[in-house]
Amino acid sequence: MSTQLHTWTWLTWLAATLVAISVTRNLFYLTLILLCLLVVYSFIEDANQRGAYPFSLLRFGILVSVLSMLFNMLISHFGETVFLTLPEEWPLIGGPYTLEALVYGLTNGLVLFGILIAFTDFNQAMPVRMLIRLIPRAFFPVAVVISIAVTFVPTTIRQFYQIKEAQMLRGQRMKSLRDWLPLVMPLLVGGLERALQLSEAMTARGFASAAPKGGNTAHRLAMVVSMLWVMAGWVVSTRAGWETLGLGLILAGALALLAALWWAGRQVPRTNYLKEKLRTGDAIVLMGIVVIGLALYFPFEWIDRSSLYYSVYPLLQWPDFDPWIGTALLGLGLPAYVIGLRKR
Amino acid sequence: MISFQDVTFTYPGASYPALQSINLEIPAGSFVLVMGLSGSGKSTLLRCMNGLVPHFSGGTLSGTIRVAEMDPVDASPQVMSRKIGFVFQDPEAQFVLDRVEDEVAFALENLALPPAEIRTRLDATLGLLGLTALRERRLDTLSGGERQRVALAAVMALNPSLLILDEPTSQLDPEAAETVLQTLVRLNRDLGLTILLAEHRLERVLPFVDRLIYLDSEPGRMLVGDPRQVLAEVDLVSPVVALGKYLGWQPLPLTVQEALPFAQLAQLPESSDVLISDIQATLPEPVLRIVDLHVFYGPKPILKGVNLSAQGGEVLALMGPNGAGKTTLLRSLIGLMKPEVGEILLLGESIAGKNTADLARLVGYLPQDPNALLFADRVLDELLYTLHSRAHQPHGHRQNSSADTDTSNAEKAAVMLAQMGMADLAEAYPRDLSVGQRQRVALAAIMVAQPRLLLLDEPTRGLDAAAKQRLADLLQTWRDDGHAIILVTHDVELVARLADRVAILEDGVISAQGKPVEVLAASPVFMPQVLQLFPDAGCLTPQQLINRLRST
Amino acid sequence: MKSRWLSPLIYLVCSLVGIVSLLYPFFLPQGTTGAQPGLQRSADMPLMLTVLLGLALLVLVYEVQGQAMNTKLIALLGVLVAINAALRFLEVAIPGPGGFSPVFFLIVLTGYVYGARFGFLMGVLTLLVSAILTGGVGPWLPSQMFTAGWVGMSAAILRPLLLGLHLKGQGEEIWILAGFGAFWGMMYGVIMNLWTWPFIAGPADQYWEYGVGIWETVQRYASYYLLTSLVWDIVRASGNFLLILGFGMPTLRTLRRFKQRFTFIYKPTPSPVAQSNLSG
Repeated sequence: MSTQLHTWTWLTWLAATLVAISVTRNLFYLTLILLCLLVVYSFIEDANQRGAYPFSLLRFGILVSVLSMLFNMLISHFGETVFLTLPEEWPLIGGPYTLEALVYGLTNGLVLFGILIAFTDFNQAMPVRMLIRLIPRAFFPVAVVISIAVTFVPTTIRQFYQIKEAQMLRGQRMKSLRDWLPLVMPLLVGGLERALQLSEAMTARGFASAAPKGGNTAHRLAMVVSMLWVMAGWVVSTRAGWETLGLGLILAGALALLAALWWAGRQVPRTNYLKEKLRTGDAIVLMGIVVIGLALYFPFEWIDRSSLYYSVYPLLQWPDFDPWIGTALLGLGLPAYVIGLRKR
Repeated sequence: MISFQDVTFTYPGASYPALQSINLEIPAGSFVLVMGLSGSGKSTLLRCMNGLVPHFSGGTLSGTIRVAEMDPVDASPQVMSRKIGFVFQDPEAQFVLDRVEDEVAFALENLALPPAEIRTRLDATLGLLGLTALRERRLDTLSGGERQRVALAAVMALNPSLLILDEPTSQLDPEAAETVLQTLVRLNRDLGLTILLAEHRLERVLPFVDRLIYLDSEPGRMLVGDPRQVLAEVDLVSPVVALGKYLGWQPLPLTVQEALPFAQLAQLPESSDVLISDIQATLPEPVLRIVDLHVFYGPKPILKGVNLSAQGGEVLALMGPNGAGKTTLLRSLIGLMKPEVGEILLLGESIAGKNTADLARLVGYLPQDPNALLFADRVLDELLYTLHSRAHQPHGHRQNSSADTDTSNAEKAAVMLAQMGMADLAEAYPRDLSVGQRQRVALAAIMVAQPRLLLLDEPTRGLDAAAKQRLADLLQTWRDDGHAIILVTHDVELVARLADRVAILEDGVISAQGKPVEVLAASPVFMPQVLQLFPDAGCLTPQQLINRLRST
Repeated sequence: MKSRWLSPLIYLVCSLVGIVSLLYPFFLPQGTTGAQPGLQRSADMPLMLTVLLGLALLVLVYEVQGQAMNTKLIALLGVLVAINAALRFLEVAIPGPGGFSPVFFLIVLTGYVYGARFGFLMGVLTLLVSAILTGGVGPWLPSQMFTAGWVGMSAAILRPLLLGLHLKGQGEEIWILAGFGAFWGMMYGVIMNLWTWPFIAGPADQYWEYGVGIWETVQRYASYYLLTSLVWDIVRASGNFLLILGFGMPTLRTLRRFKQRFTFIYKPTPSPVAQSNLSG
């Protein structure tokens, strides 16, 4: 736990980030958010030896933004600042190319990029075993499966190389698809045999098959009802003017569902021996999140919330910027500050 | 503590019972060793005690079993697990989580104990098994021996009163095995824990054993009792015991330590004549020549100038401590590691620049886990696959038509199987066979291509005495046919029986090389038991000694 | 007796939610109306629906888990998911056009041999575990998991079908499975691409227009799709097809060989002398 922040702190932070990103289209705010996220990323990378993300995040983000820009410019012909016009007869791409469409595409790309970084930060910050421990108790059998899988992946990869070497010495060459068969089959069969041995070992250690005691009909019923509730809420929310009610219904339904899951989890007799403590770092980050929530939703008079709802169309202009919201959004970068503190 | 009355068990679909009319009484606090060849029912017997047989395996069980005042058939393995801990053979297939302390705490968490108590028990158990320093480590960074200790810790966390272990050291090297066995002895002595251990490697543990159970391959024949009494009636025993029986030493010594006083008293004529298997004609060009080999792993030098050669018609044993570079040497021989300096010459040609698949026509390699090779549906198909792959070698000889190739391949395969005594297994599914059989199938699949040089990497892991004997016979047959064989092993007794030459690789160089009787006599670590008892007799195996005694 | 219809109900509701969440651009009559051009909604709509999808997935997994899991199947699933997740690393390592994914091969075949629930979990967990391991947990994960789960689950439907046609064990079996794999290879891409469409394509009142029916939306998506993920999906579909054709038979044989050992459940027959029999 090299980042030293509690699991729940990270989760809250992630949720806050996602909400912030989805609430606005204002380029200034979006850029601010992205900067905070990138800063957090660089701090986590330093603190962690988790290994680099498979491909360069920055490059991917830029790629996505550029693609989105181009695509929107080519397809969408709205807006008033025209800089290029292709003949209208051309099927999709004919018509005026507008700056608005370009910028709109850019905005969209940035939103996607932001979501990406937010999740990456979360991934990098949480070790795998903590992620697994997040799984609610109701899903204990599935959590065990995931543990086993995570544990066995390195073994499987190692086995693969052993098999490859052994088969090479029988003269096997990788020419056609069929030549992979002697590599894949021992891996599969070996895995199945291991699974048998593992289940024997688990049984001998008292791992009971996970049938819930006393049945779980009531829990499942509760879950279905909550699910229907959520769906109803969503349908309602798509009707103009009923949005808040719909949202409220969805929220209530989701909470009911989570409550049902928690209730189902009570049936599984298990304890967790790890105790994560909440520290000052957590308090700092959480407070920053509260501030963001206030700035975005609490009806203070001096905050100009309309700057959030900036729109590129129909005419491109500079977006407004409210300093209070801007400062609040900086709170998303607080984890970087906390991690930086710890390093000293 | 344990009581079996007239227990008979048959696996589902088997034609004869695995256990027949077993009667057994074991008091609490004993350290019991269960011996027997593969297939004799050791594993079945052990699994009867915690209910895995019949709950996990199915089958028909009759008779009464009582273990720790519970009936395993009635209760389930889950219930029995609170009093009985079971450790299995494969250190890689017992773990659910990826860190030491998580794994050990897993069972405790499942019991829904309060977290504080879990932490206390966790600390205690880790301390008991000497794992406190390793507690935050990931399991896949541990060695086999450490992993088995973690498996032990995982079951000890539940405070069982009976500990059952099914060949826990068979996949480990001798040092690791030693550590695990010593830990068991300590648990038995200090905690009074009843321990039931099934093992092939007996020597280190025999002095601490209260009782020996021997299961014969014929179901029904079982010997129980004091180790010395039981061993007196058993055939496949360690050299010390074999000599003790032949020379009539009483009480029967179980270890070299116990036998030394007898040996010192025994009068043996001095050795002056040349030993068996010493006749050497003029040697042809060696099949393999390694010249001044330096191999690096990254920046670290592993092999620091190895000079070695292997002849056709000879078994060369390569021994050495862990980490000395034996694996690296083997991997260099098959082209998987490139040397910095030095040359490897196969039949006079350097192997530099050739890839592994090219080398396959000259070199056969049996990996530590022969299962890595077996993928086909039938034993016969395994052999045919090798032949078929080989036919597409750039330098391989091609037949005129593919039909001819197929027929001649089928013939070659059949001949190979017959030569190895496995003709009746041609249609069997390889993965259903026993460990020893699978190894022989893998060997057949390699040797059917008639490579000049055969490399074997630790082939005796998990083999019982009979399977080892058959392996030794096979290797001798091939040696006599003119193949060159290099055997990497820790098994000193096998080397004593089989090797024509021994080389010891220590710290990246060959520290000793020559005839077995010279090299093994000079190394305290690798001295066979017979030599430890009779250093001047010049005999490596009990058979040799007995022959010499008979001839005088 | 109450619980007899509960299970199908759960499957129905969750699948409905899943379908709506995945295919919402076709269903949604309108983004928003009103003074504010609902642009601020067009980001949270996909996110919200992902949350919805996630919830449905939770319920579905809970349902499947309750019915299907004993120790042996847990271990089996764990090991198979490990193999599949390891295979997924290959997906990243193979150069060339993306899209090829070796994971569907095992998902389809295990669903076919071991049943719908096993196949469902296989799909869901393969995606989840490989995401955890590659650090690729992202907002598209619920969609991936859901769709992959559906791949495995639907593969089980083939079993009674092929049995009824007396094709089990014949060569045709593999061809049909391969075709199935190819179909899902394409469908997976089509569905996944829908998720990113709102981000890349035009503003709300462009593709969700009041009165613009399903057909128009389909057309617009089709043009978007052609430009973006078609090639990827063709590669994936062909990959699945070839993999199943190439390795299907031996894999099926192996899976079937082990099936008995994994699915047997011990039931003792009560008798005065402790005697136990293999059942089922």
